[in-house]
Order: sequence, then structure tokens, then C-alpha cells
Amino acid sequence: MRRFDTAKLAVSVFVASEAVFFGFLIAAYIYYAYFGATGPGPTAGNSLNPPRTLFFTICLIASSGTLWMAERKLAGSERKEFRLWLAGTIFLGAVFIAGQAMEYAGLISGRVTPERNLFGATFFTLTGFHGFHVLCGLVALTIFLILTFVRGFGQKEVSGIGAVAIYWHFVDVVWIVIFSLVYLTVWL
Amino acid sequence: MDHKRIGILYLSTTLVFFCIGGIEALLMRIQLAWPDNHFLSPDAYDQVFTMHGTTMVFLVVVPLLLGLANYLTPLMIGARDMALPRLNAFSYWVSLFGGILLYFSFIDGHAPDAGWFSYTPLSEKGFSTRNGLDYWALALLGIGVGTVATAINLIVTIINLRTEGLTIRRLPLFVWMVLVNSFLIIAALPALNASLVMLLIDRQLSAHFFLNLGGGSPILWQHYFWAFGHPEVYIMVLPAFGIISEVVPVFSRKPIFGYGFVAGSTVAIALLSLGVWAHHMFAVGLGHAWDYAFGASSLLIAVPTGVKIFNWIATMWGGSIQFTTSMLFALAFLFSFTIGGLSGVTFATFPIDWQTTDTYYVVAHMHYVLFGGTLFAVMAGVYYWFPKITGRMLSERLGRVHFWLMFLGFHMTFFIQHFLGLDGMPRRVYTYPNLPGWGAMNLISTIGAFVMGISVLVLLANVWISLHSGEQAGDNPWNAWTLEWATSSPPPEHNFNRVPPVRSPRPLWDLAHPQGGRA
Amino acid sequence: MHISVFDPVSPEAGRLLWLWDASMWICGFILALVTLSILYILVRYRRRGPAEPNQTTGNPTIEIVWTVVPLGLVLLLFALSIVTARAVDHPIRQAPDLVVIGHQWWWEVHYSAMDAVDANEIHLPTGREMLVAVESADVIHDFWAPQLSRKVDAVPGKRNFVWIRVDRAGVYPGACAEYCGQQHAWMRLRVIAQDPAAYETWLAHEAQPAAEPQGGDAALGRMRFGQLTCANCHNIRGIQKQQQYAPDLTHVASRQMLAAERLENTPANLKDWLRHPNVIKPGCYMPNLNLSDSDLTQLTAFLETLR
Repeated sequence: MRRFDTAKLAVSVFVASEAVFFGFLIAAYIYYAYFGATGPGPTAGNSLNPPRTLFFTICLIASSGTLWMAERKLAGSERKEFRLWLAGTIFLGAVFIAGQAMEYAGLISGRVTPERNLFGATFFTLTGFHGFHVLCGLVALTIFLILTFVRGFGQKEVSGIGAVAIYWHFVDVVWIVIFSLVYLTVWL
Repeated sequence: MDHKRIGILYLSTTLVFFCIGGIEALLMRIQLAWPDNHFLSPDAYDQVFTMHGTTMVFLVVVPLLLGLANYLTPLMIGARDMALPRLNAFSYWVSLFGGILLYFSFIDGHAPDAGWFSYTPLSEKGFSTRNGLDYWALALLGIGVGTVATAINLIVTIINLRTEGLTIRRLPLFVWMVLVNSFLIIAALPALNASLVMLLIDRQLSAHFFLNLGGGSPILWQHYFWAFGHPEVYIMVLPAFGIISEVVPVFSRKPIFGYGFVAGSTVAIALLSLGVWAHHMFAVGLGHAWDYAFGASSLLIAVPTGVKIFNWIATMWGGSIQFTTSMLFALAFLFSFTIGGLSGVTFATFPIDWQTTDTYYVVAHMHYVLFGGTLFAVMAGVYYWFPKITGRMLSERLGRVHFWLMFLGFHMTFFIQHFLGLDGMPRRVYTYPNLPGWGAMNLISTIGAFVMGISVLVLLANVWISLHSGEQAGDNPWNAWTLEWATSSPPPEHNFNRVPPVRSPRPLWDLAHPQGGRA
Repeated sequence: MHISVFDPVSPEAGRLLWLWDASMWICGFILALVTLSILYILVRYRRRGPAEPNQTTGNPTIEIVWTVVPLGLVLLLFALSIVTARAVDHPIRQAPDLVVIGHQWWWEVHYSAMDAVDANEIHLPTGREMLVAVESADVIHDFWAPQLSRKVDAVPGKRNFVWIRVDRAGVYPGACAEYCGQQHAWMRLRVIAQDPAAYETWLAHEAQPAAEPQGGDAALGRMRFGQLTCANCHNIRGIQKQQQYAPDLTHVASRQMLAAERLENTPANLKDWLRHPNVIKPGCYMPNLNLSDSDLTQLTAFLETLR
């Protein structure tokens, strides 16, 4: 007797464990930003570009929206529309990653690195692992997009996409927390 | 690759790592057998004690319990396999890879040597220049992935695949404890992952998370590690509690006393275990507020643990006790784990900790709960479920030899260590001065360790002989009551030809007593 | 059998022992209850026939009893813990009498009353509450003398404190109690408690700088000490000023032990140490300078004048 969708339950539990992981990285960021000594040098206030990052944040949030639309289309068996919305999600996610890469390049060329001080260490660790999770999500979404061409739309594919969607929305929520904590607190 | 084969893979692999970890222990005990010994150099000793702890915690106890859970859970809930069979296989292989990576460090020239919990700044690059610690961190990340994946699999399996009629409140207690344990893994392992990545970033990218010279905090490592490490020790014991909860009723011929309380106290322990971590830090000088808070929570966790002990004793009370080898180990568990738990209470009485922490008293305590507790329970489980897994009975005669050697060897090794600690012997020392009594006490401990080593040889012999010529087990050699006994030994690949109806925690007892029987 | 924790010589260690005794009564009671129950069960309820026993499933009342009673016992232990903690960790309203700094693998000891610095052997006066500050120069160590007081970590970047009042003159062993690397085992210490008058005399002497040796091997050794880079790490007040990278040697010859309790302090042992420190204490940071026999003789002669 299956009481819950297996894939969705599994991903939900996985997401819970990842939430704990990010919680600890976030706690380290907060501790060193507000309670510890980050040491002299770069801080969130003098190194980051919140308005530009806001643009990329909106792209990522929008990608959750496009994924939600994709799922709706799938539920209504509108397969071509589903694929388009899914492709859109992947595109927006890729834009976010590109933006993050640009930001990292700028920071590193400005000598803001994990070695420099604890702002550098906590910033790169927190956003780096987040970016890594986005990348993994993009890979999963791309695999599913390809699978819909190769294998069609069986029960497994449908429930698989539902599971990936949970993961993707989670990654989005984590970014909202990080953006607020790291960027908004020094912008506003 | 079905869950039974994966379970057997886990059990076999952990047996190998257990022997390796055991040899590491014997090497240490030889070095410590008399004062100022030169059997192992300090550098070698430091690698050995680090690898012993890391191996036993990450490559033996946890995979052993999860391997047993892997084998038994689908059977005990009337399912065909785990919910995610390929994830199950992946979990095993990634854990094995982590184990091999850890031991590869020896080949690379130097194993990790900062202890199994690698306190900073000692474990930072400046003080540990070799690669051993990087192997340690990477290996643990790999093993951690496998552990979390198994926990996810167990949760989904137990929630989704229970047979008709098997409600949560009719779950066999082993399965219940595995379920609670899996949630604890989900909550705790990520803290380890966060700690490990931060340490790796410090070591490889020259950050200063845990180095005060860059503004970091060595103590943060302790908080983060123990936020994982304390729940980890409960992860290492809850499934063992589950084994005892299965074995004791069967060999007392009565149901578990206080099923609801045993189940409920498990949840209490799991929740409390998330709030006691800083009791590993009473000597750090965090301040009385921290000491009071964590002293209180650590004392509190003794209460639900005691509830379990009392319920197991009450299960036996008024019963009809069969002294199988399995039951002997369960009895040894009750006695030894109580001692270990009580020495834990003395630590929670935190000013006492100010004398006993970081001494051989701790070594005694942890081995009483992990060996006298978990491992004895596992031995009970091995003798109990070996017939189901292999179709053959283990020799009771050899089992008794194994039991008495292991029981006596264990107490001989570790009881005396309480006194060594109280007399001032710190832990993690490659040798010690010739202070009165230290040589004698250490020698007794070493002899006890070798007695235990012999007992393991007897166990291995028992397993080997029984696999080839043990008595045929039949479906239900113990006349037990849970679903795994309602199929052949070993079970067919699909586990059950027909799952019996489930109307209580003891389906087979119900089948044998259609009128209800004496209750 | 002498067990240090059971032989306190200070009120602090005495209070800790009192708490231990209390916990032993409580834990002993529980252990006796559990053990005797099990033994009784083994005899009274062993299987005697095929009949099934009464299939009791539980008793809510007894569950409450064995939840509430242990809860009461742990609350009692908690209350006793608070009382004991306050009695051991007195409030700190003054500068420390001693500052002990842990190094890999030796203890640097500063006496605030005088400009006195020593290593590994700590002198205290009897009958007086002494405040010891504990720090670290590198990794985490732990300062512990079980007959005298609680242990406390030496954490880099942090200053911890421990109160000690020794009530009985004598020599009390101690050790580093936090794994700190290869020679953690030989990062031991001893506390030498003296009557106040003897202590003051000792302290005054300790504050004295060393005198230049007048001639013979000792004077030659003094010259070699400077030439052989010993002076780069080791401080000898009055003769050579240096950071405390290594144990202060101003009064090294008056210490009872060498290398943090590794060797008895005799001229022969001192010479042996100088010959190959890495053999006696593998991993220690003192290099093996492959000293010639004459160097060894002269250096030993010089160091022996540093009483």
C-alpha cells in the first residue's frame, strides 16, 4: 500500500536534510558577520552589488514560477507547453548561475577570497554551496527534459518531475533567505 | 540487487572493518601494556587511535545497524524490497568507497591523526600538514552521503510500504526505532557535512573558520561537530534498543512491557539528543549558563533511557526465560549498558565532568555504552537473526564460549579504566609514567582486550562452521511473532508468498491464538 | 590503592569529590536495583516447562513511578551540580596570581607577584586561594591537577581561569588533558605546594636573574649556548632575552624533572636530552643539533649553574 508518492516523499526528506546543512552554513555566516571578528577588509557592505544580484534573484524566483507553470501544463497533458516552460526554467536557472559566476569573478579579481577574511570565507561557502545545488538542479531538470523526448510521459517521469520541482523550489527558498541575509541587510 | 543482498554486503563489510578496528585496538593495548613502552612510536599511535575511533564509529557501528535495518525492515513490514532499491545499492557502494578512501590515507603516507573528532586548531593545516585529515574529511563526506541516503530510504519504506493492517502503532519496535533513528540521521549528519566542508575550506583554501589568528573560532568546530556527534551516538544506539526490544520478549515468552512507553521514550531520547551537544564542552570554559543548560538537558535524557531499561526488565518479570546465546547477550546488554548509562549520568553532573572529561573514565564510559551496549545488542541480534538470513542455526555451544569470553574480556578491559581516569590518566596518550598502579591496571586492560580478541575468533569460527554445517533453521526456530518469521529461512527473493493478516504487533502470536489466549 | 580524585588536597577538589560521592549513592542505588532484578529474574523465572506465562502488556502506574522517581533523582543531581559549581568556580574580581600558557608540549608559567617565569613545575603557597589563568600559544590544551581542582581547557585566543587553594604541602602530579599532538602524553606537570614562608623564599629566588658563569666548562658552555642557536628559543633572564618559544631556563637546574615530566632532572639525563631530544620525546620541536661530546659536557655544565 503506497500512502504517499515515493519520489516526492524521498525528495522531501532529502530537502529536510539539506535545510539542516544550509542552516549550519547560515549560522556560521551570521556568527562571523555579527558576533565574531571578520577581521579588517571586505565586508558585505563594501564588496557586494545588491541591485545587480537582485536582477539575478528575480530570474531564479521566476524559474520557480515557470516550473510551476510547467507542472500545470503536464497535469493537463499539454506536452509541448510543458516542455517549453521546463526549458524556460532551465534557461532562467542558467542565467542565475551565469550571474553568480560574474559576481565571483569580480570579487576574486578585487581580492575578495575565502582566504582574505571571514566575510570572504563565509560568503563563498554559503553562496558556493547554494550555486552547486542550483547546478545539480539544472542537471536534473535537463535530464528530465531529455527524457521526455526519449521516453515519453509515463507515471515515473511525471512523479519524477514532481520530485525535482520540490527540490528546485527549496533551492529557491534557500536563495531568498541568503539574499535577504547577505545582500538586503546591507542594502536597505 | 535486493535489500537482502545489500544487507548481507553491509554485514560482511562491517565485519571486516570491525576486525581491522579491533586489531587497531589491540595494537594500542600492546603499546599501553606497560609504562614507557616503545612498541609504537607516538606518531604511529596517534594514527592508530584516530583510525580505530573513526573506523568503529563510521565504518562499523552505523553501517552495521543500517545493514541490519536494511535486511530486516522490508521483511518486518511485509514488503517486497526497500522503496528505492537503486538508491539502496548506491548507499552501500558510496559508503564502501568512503571507507577505502579513509584507509588509502595509509598508502599516501600518513593516516589522519587528530582523533576521531579532529579538534581545531590541531587539525588545521598549520599543525597537521600531511594529507591524512583531508582523506578523513572526504571519506566521512562519502560515508555520510550513504548514511543519509539509507535513512531516506528507510523512512520512505516504513511510511509507504507497510502491509495491510500494519499501522504505525503496530510496528515492531525494531522498525519503530529504525524510523526514529532515520529522522535523527537526517537532522544530525548535515551538521557533520557543514563542519567537514568548512574544515576542508580552511585546509585547502586557507580560510580561517576555526583559526583564531584570522578571526575564526576553534570552539565553533566543537559546537558544530558535537551538534552532529552527540546525536550520532544515539544513532549508534537506538537500533540496538530495537534489537533488545525484539529479542527479550521472544525469549521471555511475553510481549514487550509498556510498548507505548518504549516507543514514546524513543522519540523523547531522539528529540533531547539534539539539545545536549555542549556537554562535550564542559571544560572549554563557555560559562556557567552553558554548563547549567547542558547539564540539565543531559541529566534529563537519562529519564527516558531508564524507562526503557525498566520496561525490558518488566518484560522478563513473570516470564519464562530461555537462555539462548541471543538472550545471554541481551542480558549482558542490560547490565553493561546500565553501567555505561550511569557513568554518563556522572558526566551530566557537570562538576564531576570537570575531573573526568578527557580521561580514561571517558574511554570506559563510551565503550560501556557502545560495546557493552550496542555491540552486545548486535550480538544478540546476530544469534537471533542469523537463522533467518542463512537458513542455519549458529552453534549454541560455540555461542556460549563466545559469550563468556566476550563478556568477561569486555569487563576486564574497560571496568578498570574508570579507575585509571579517576587517578589522572588522560586519554589519547601513547604512553604514561610509572605511577603507582598504572602499569598493573593497564596490563589487566590489555589482557582483557586479548580475551575479547579470542572471543571474536570464536564468533568467526561459529559463523564459518554454521554456514557450512549448522542445523537447519526452518521458518521460525524461536517461535517468534513478527512478520519476518512468516516466511522461509532464508526468505525467497520476493520475501513473502503470502503475508499474514496483521491486527496487532504480534501477527504470528495472533495466528497461533485465534481465541486470544491468556492475556 | 591511591586514586587522585579521591585524595583531594584543596577545598575545590574536595567539593568535586563530595559531588562524586553523592552521585555514587544515587547511581549505585539504580545499578543495584537493576542488577538484583536481573539476578532474581534469572533464578525465579527461568523456563521450566512449555506453558506460556501471563501475557502482561503493561502498567501505566508503574510507568509513572519509574519516570517520576528518576526525574526527581536527576533534578537532585542538577541542584547539587549548581551548588558545587559555585563552590569551585569562585567569582573573579582580581588579576590572576599565575598565568599558565600551554605550548606544544610544555607549560609556560608566569608568577604575577614577581617578574618570574618558569616552565612545567608550578609552585603554590599552601593555605591561600590562588587564581590561575590558563591560555594557549598554539592548539587547545587542558590544565589538570586532579588533587587540586577542576580541569580547564587552554584555548588559543581565550583566557580561562581555575581557583586552587592547596591545604597540604607536597608535590602533586598533573597533565595536559586535551589531545594536542604527538607529545601530548609527555605534556605533564607537577604542582609543588610549599608553606607560605618557603614559597616566598622560592619566589624571590625565582625572580632572580641568572649570573654569568665564572669559568671552566660552564663559561664555555655559556658561549656555545649563544653560538648554537639555543638562545633563539630559550630565555635565560640576565643572560639572554628571548620570547618564550621554549621553556625558560633561568632556573632549570632547580627543577625536579625535565621535558614536562619526561625525565628526572639529573646531569646525566640533561646531557642525554641535549644529545637527542627527538629520541626521548619524538616529535618535539627541539632540534637535534648533533652536538659533539665537548659541547654536551660544556652545555650541561653551564645549565647546571642555573639553579
